[in-house]
Amino acid sequence: MKNVATVNVDRGPIPWTERIYLGPIVRGLGVTLRHFLRNVFGKRDVATIEWPEVKRQYSERLRGRHILTTKDDGSLRCVACYMCETACPANCITIVAEEDPEAPVEWEKRPLLYEIDLLRCVFCGFCVDACPKEAIIMSRQHEMAFSERSEAVVGIEELRQKGPIEDEDLGYRPYF
Amino acid sequence: MRQPDGSSSFLTTRVDAMLGWVRKNSLWPLPFGTACCAIEFMSVVSSHYDLSRFGAEVVRFSPRQADLMIVAGTITDKMAPVVKRIYEQMAEPRYVISMGACACTGGFYRAYHVVQGVDEFIPVDVYVPGCPPTPEALMHGILKLQDMIQNGETQHDRLKHGKPDTTATAG
Amino acid sequence: MTVSSTESPTQRPPLADPFPEGSVAAVEQAADGHTVLTVDRSHLLDVLRRLREKPELACDLLADVCGVDYPDREQRFDVVYHLGSLEHGHRFRVKVPLGEDDPVVPSAVGIWKAADWFEREAFDMFGIRFQGHPDLRRILTHEAFHGHPLRKDYDPSQRWLLTEKDTMAPRWATEDQPDDEHMDTVVLNLGPSHPATHGTLRTVVRLDGEHIVKAECEIGYLHRCFEKMSETHGWQQVIPYTDRLNYCSSMINGVGFALTVEKMLGIEAPPRAQVVRVILSELSRIMDHAVCLGANLVDLGALTNFWYFFQIREEIYGLLEKCAGGRLTVSYARIGGLAHDVPADFEDEVRKLLDSIPKFLDDVETLVTTNRIFRDRTEGVGVISGEEALAWGWTGPCLRASGIPYDVRKAHPYMGYENYDFEVPVATTGDTYARYLVRMEEMRQSLRIVRQALDNLPDGPVITDDHHVALPPKEKVYTEMESLIWHFKLIFEGIPVPAGEAYGFTEGANGELGYYVVSDGGGKPHRIKVRPPCFAIYQAFPKILEGLMIPDAIAILGSLNIIAGELDR
Repeated sequence: MKNVATVNVDRGPIPWTERIYLGPIVRGLGVTLRHFLRNVFGKRDVATIEWPEVKRQYSERLRGRHILTTKDDGSLRCVACYMCETACPANCITIVAEEDPEAPVEWEKRPLLYEIDLLRCVFCGFCVDACPKEAIIMSRQHEMAFSERSEAVVGIEELRQKGPIEDEDLGYRPYF
Repeated sequence: MRQPDGSSSFLTTRVDAMLGWVRKNSLWPLPFGTACCAIEFMSVVSSHYDLSRFGAEVVRFSPRQADLMIVAGTITDKMAPVVKRIYEQMAEPRYVISMGACACTGGFYRAYHVVQGVDEFIPVDVYVPGCPPTPEALMHGILKLQDMIQNGETQHDRLKHGKPDTTATAG
Repeated sequence: MTVSSTESPTQRPPLADPFPEGSVAAVEQAADGHTVLTVDRSHLLDVLRRLREKPELACDLLADVCGVDYPDREQRFDVVYHLGSLEHGHRFRVKVPLGEDDPVVPSAVGIWKAADWFEREAFDMFGIRFQGHPDLRRILTHEAFHGHPLRKDYDPSQRWLLTEKDTMAPRWATEDQPDDEHMDTVVLNLGPSHPATHGTLRTVVRLDGEHIVKAECEIGYLHRCFEKMSETHGWQQVIPYTDRLNYCSSMINGVGFALTVEKMLGIEAPPRAQVVRVILSELSRIMDHAVCLGANLVDLGALTNFWYFFQIREEIYGLLEKCAGGRLTVSYARIGGLAHDVPADFEDEVRKLLDSIPKFLDDVETLVTTNRIFRDRTEGVGVISGEEALAWGWTGPCLRASGIPYDVRKAHPYMGYENYDFEVPVATTGDTYARYLVRMEEMRQSLRIVRQALDNLPDGPVITDDHHVALPPKEKVYTEMESLIWHFKLIFEGIPVPAGEAYGFTEGANGELGYYVVSDGGGKPHRIKVRPPCFAIYQAFPKILEGLMIPDAIAILGSLNIIAGELDR
């Protein structure tokens, strides 16, 4: 058994150099003045991002609004297996399945209804992790606002991938 | 001043537009921050995002000095009377942004002590999804509210002109 | 007082029969290193007192008191006490089985002050009555609530509405004045909506002139039912919920939970995952201390520091977003490892942080540490002695500011913390200034750990390949039938955690963050009890306040770093 390595951070009584108050206040003003001058004249490393004109570099894994990906022929990749619905901690996904009439095999399913309540969603990415078909991925589109709760329940048409996948603002996906 | 057919006169429309412009550019937010979203709200007012660029940096914790209530965080049944009281203490016109999944709908807390959306007891103008929403998302919500104020589409305007309140579901 | 450091997580205590004949029904060495004693309630106080007072046991820390409901058992409830000895490094778990019709146990408040709120919580959640408790009433739920929500037969979504006329002040606040002198006292309500309470804390104080003569805290304004929610979700799905416990340092919570469940499963995360977890946990600790000190300084009028501290946070957010995809609530840890490997530029990004964070810390130190106004305002304010703090169940930076160097990373190393060279900052004065100094130094020590961890970042996988636990890699799911079946089973049935229980504890940003996890062998947890460090710290707050002034209360509250998400869960 050994004692833990500790470092004592006590500073003891205030020494006279600090008691007269002048030194620390001048040094403190120096710090703020340095920041001020650097922001005004020096290197333009101002912290503020001029959003919405300038956007910061978002992560490629940013978890934003969902995208339902499509196959080459434009139909959804989703096979309505309910895995995302099961994995979702918020239960914000609603799926109603129907039989896919165009499928080569008889029992293939597709979603008749696929709704996500974006206001319930906690953007944890578990649906993406759960999907065995890469049918649901996330975009970096995170600037959303609604004036009514019903607007936030989005269905297949709103979620469907709009063009080639490269054109989408891709965020959280199964592999990178 | 109303015309006989119910529409507003030229003068009052101009005054309304002017008032809307003034109001939208000097929002005084009251951050009703309870949880994680409050931390993101701190990011919005700090140097990286700097809400003052939109004229809304004068954060006031007194409801009597604020006109925009940002409900940031989970509201529980225990907290609900407090939120309602504070909303009622705000002077009109007053606006509400519900920030984040919990405040909007209860989020993934479908639970015995969590309000399933603050619109159960106060009217909400803008819902911002996210858990928590990114600072950009909240600022986007504030910009949307500014547009709504300018165009007279807020809950306050709806109530003033006698249109039914579309979101408040319970008193 | 010395705190021991041991190689094994917990030491086996000497049990040379310190208890009288027949008082302990069963003794068992649990797999998590705890000694589990099953005690009948008639002997409970005797056993607890011996555990505290016998020098060879010396359990000075009451970490947690909680209830567990087993509806199928004849004696339906268990009351579980988690005890620890700082001196010997051993841990005890004392269980008292209780029947449904008479759930009464004697209160342990006389032995550890810390038992106060923990027992109130067990009463609120399970209806277990603690005889002799000074103020046994609901703590997390509200006055109009009926029933006990964590009982298994309580519907998780059954709400009870509270109206304003039901809310009440503490009983003494409405009582008539004691007619002691010619001056009246005034009752003042601070919070829950008050700029200095950071959300949801409420304190009612009675003032005599400017001095606080009595104070009481009311909590539960952010009780979001984490524990009930975790019982209705699968093991892996609990991770997003843990993020929202202490949301200022969400990574640490997820890691703590994952470690506990890994302990029950008997697996370990791969080395690379361990090191990444250490790096991100320590950066989260810096974030947490940054927001604590930043907000504390704002309350004291030093606004500039808030901007500097938030720049630190923004830069760490950037890194977390790169790794996990979320800024604040990362959901990055998984049972068995991490959700994904870190991005390719991870090392460069962390090194950039290692360069930039000290600059901001230096700026704040220059502005604040030697500033006489700040020192005069905080020195000697909110003093608590080490013994007193420990009796209240304090851990973490606040305890270390009172001179007790208890740090879980040193005392019970996990995730390889024994391999890192760092020191535990300790102050002796136990006041607000000391807590500031300890947190500042801890940030620098965390940077030290990050630097060492980064130098030794191993290659390899970041999640276990046991497909009972972790989802198989996606490319295999798309192509191989077997992996698809594993994937399917894991999503629909969850992780088969073997029946049993474990208490896992890590050093959270505020102190010992414990998870007491009970599994019944199913895909969902049977019970998860979080031991939130804030909870123990905040219950001592009213006692510290007595005799001080309102501005002092603000300064102290900020320095304790009470995070409502963790306090109320």
